[in-house]
Amino acid sequence: MANTDTEAVVTVRGLHKRYGDRTVVNGLDLDVHAGEVLGLIGANGAGKTTTVECIQGLRRPDSGVLRVLGCDPVRDAERLRPMLGSQLQDSALPDRLRVGEAIELFATDRAHNGDDLLAQFGLIERRKAAFASMSGGERQRLFLVLALLNRPRLVILDELTQGLDPAARRDVWAAVAQLRDAGTTVLLVTHELDEAEVLCGRVVAMRSGRVLDQGPPADLISRHAPWAMIRFAWSRPGVDDLLADLRPLPGVQVVATTPGRVEVRGTRQSIAYVGAELVKRGAVPDDLSVELPDLESALLHLLDEPDTPVEFGRSRNIAKTGPTDHALAGANR
Amino acid sequence: MSALSTSTATRLIRTEFRLTFRDPLVLTFVLVFPIVTMLIIGGSFGTTPDPSFEGVNPSHWYVASYLTVVVAATGLVMMPVHLASYRERGVLRRFAVAGFPRWSFAIAQLVIGIVTIVVAGVLLLLVAAPVYGIPAVHDVWRVVAGLTLGAIGFVSIGVLLGTLLPSARAAQAVGLLLFFPSFLLGAGGPPPQVMGSALRAVSDFLPLTWVTTSIRQPWLGIGTPTGTLVEVAALAVVATVVAVRRSAL
Ligand SMILES: Nc1ncnc2c1ncn2[C@@H]1O[C@H](COP(=O)(O)OP(=O)(O)O)[C@@H](O)[C@H]1O
Ligand SMILES: [Mg+2]
Repeated sequence: MANTDTEAVVTVRGLHKRYGDRTVVNGLDLDVHAGEVLGLIGANGAGKTTTVECIQGLRRPDSGVLRVLGCDPVRDAERLRPMLGSQLQDSALPDRLRVGEAIELFATDRAHNGDDLLAQFGLIERRKAAFASMSGGERQRLFLVLALLNRPRLVILDELTQGLDPAARRDVWAAVAQLRDAGTTVLLVTHELDEAEVLCGRVVAMRSGRVLDQGPPADLISRHAPWAMIRFAWSRPGVDDLLADLRPLPGVQVVATTPGRVEVRGTRQSIAYVGAELVKRGAVPDDLSVELPDLESALLHLLDEPDTPVEFGRSRNIAKTGPTDHALAGANR
Repeated sequence: MSALSTSTATRLIRTEFRLTFRDPLVLTFVLVFPIVTMLIIGGSFGTTPDPSFEGVNPSHWYVASYLTVVVAATGLVMMPVHLASYRERGVLRRFAVAGFPRWSFAIAQLVIGIVTIVVAGVLLLLVAAPVYGIPAVHDVWRVVAGLTLGAIGFVSIGVLLGTLLPSARAAQAVGLLLFFPSFLLGAGGPPPQVMGSALRAVSDFLPLTWVTTSIRQPWLGIGTPTGTLVEVAALAVVATVVAVRRSAL
């Protein structure tokens, strides 16, 4: 039996969903464990929202097995929905509904104290505000409050920071971090990779309805972007000598120079060898900098590849995407 | 129906009630428009009994006709726009994912539609009373039956239109297109006696005319149109069944 640490809250196997003859989710497997913040990431159109809508029972899958908190999302919708807290992408509240009234409307017998939650998310002063008068950040925080109101066992957040300015985004992030630290199980859907990197313990990257790769953000970065970029200014003579000495160092892949500057790309270990070489020469530059890739630079190309319609039900399909996936999952790009 | 779901319906009704009476479209179109037009038209033909008005006081004729203007404004304009805008903006999905059963929303709409009609109708009569007087009701039960069945029928038509029309704008356009001919030919316009035969034929065909006739005739004591009342009952049953089926998952 599963132990409590890795108890499956959501299990999806072989999920397929099409709209008309267009396959949008194509054999997707997904697990969300109790107490984790799982990021479902991918470019717009990857099929993320469709996937979570199947998990919420808002859409009926064409095939595949879904278990959410022990329920079949479509058949057991009435039993499941009170256990979910959902913030939907592209869903508003009535313009003239006030914050306090929204709490009243959605609160069941099990609900938290609405004012406590409003206070926690900085909305207590806005209790009388109509939905239409709220800023984007306030609205999203209200949706978070509503998602948490009835003590859900799983919180689903779909593009929570869409359309927010940077300050509002940070506010909302802080709110999600509170959830994470409280041990709430969260499925966070986002196309913004910096958001996933900040908030998620584990991410599942999808493209064209399939899983490309998954794991903790740091693992994905080292898998897909294992390099480091070292830069410094070099105005002394003998730059060619320097380049010749750097090139054979362990882990160094590319050494490039523009007038007055040197750039070295290599493995993370190569940082130490390059540093040692500079120390040995007694010429450590003032402006030495090292850039390590973040999740965005690691996965951007992977996720943003053109969203070619996936041909369905032929071996052609596997032949087309299979090797690509392999190459990308390997250590080097 | 568990206790949870029942209280869901109560919470929805309370919220929808508040929102309805904050909605400028409802305030202007359902509450004010019928009153203003009744005051204008009701005062246009004097108060002397007139053969064009089946031998009754024209002002009273209009007072007895205007409750259905409220019914039409609610069913053809307010409800479709309200529902279509909820769907367009994802409010319905939010209700669904929050675990509100579909029927609780349908019940809430039915209740709100009926309550709106009652409130707007009472207001209309309160304004009419000092100005034109309220004509004596000859056959209370027939009037109540016609009004109740007509209200249920038009509220269901409203729900149906709201589920069919893709956006609030579309609902408003279609709603107004249905409302004005119904209003002019079936309730608040010229009496059937003065219409040409073509207009008269169109008027006889309009559901709102059936509702108006089934209320006005027994109210003013100028007829007991049982056939029309049956038509209104059939309308109510058919519209409600179709609306319930459409809005079921
Ligand atoms: N109801 C729908 N009917 C037809 N196509 C849809 C529908 N919903 C989404 N799509 C299409 O399916 C694809 C995946 O959409 P979605 O699941 O929303 O992706 P994501 O959330 O990753 O951006 C998109 O190309 C979108 O246009
Ligand atoms: Mg989406």
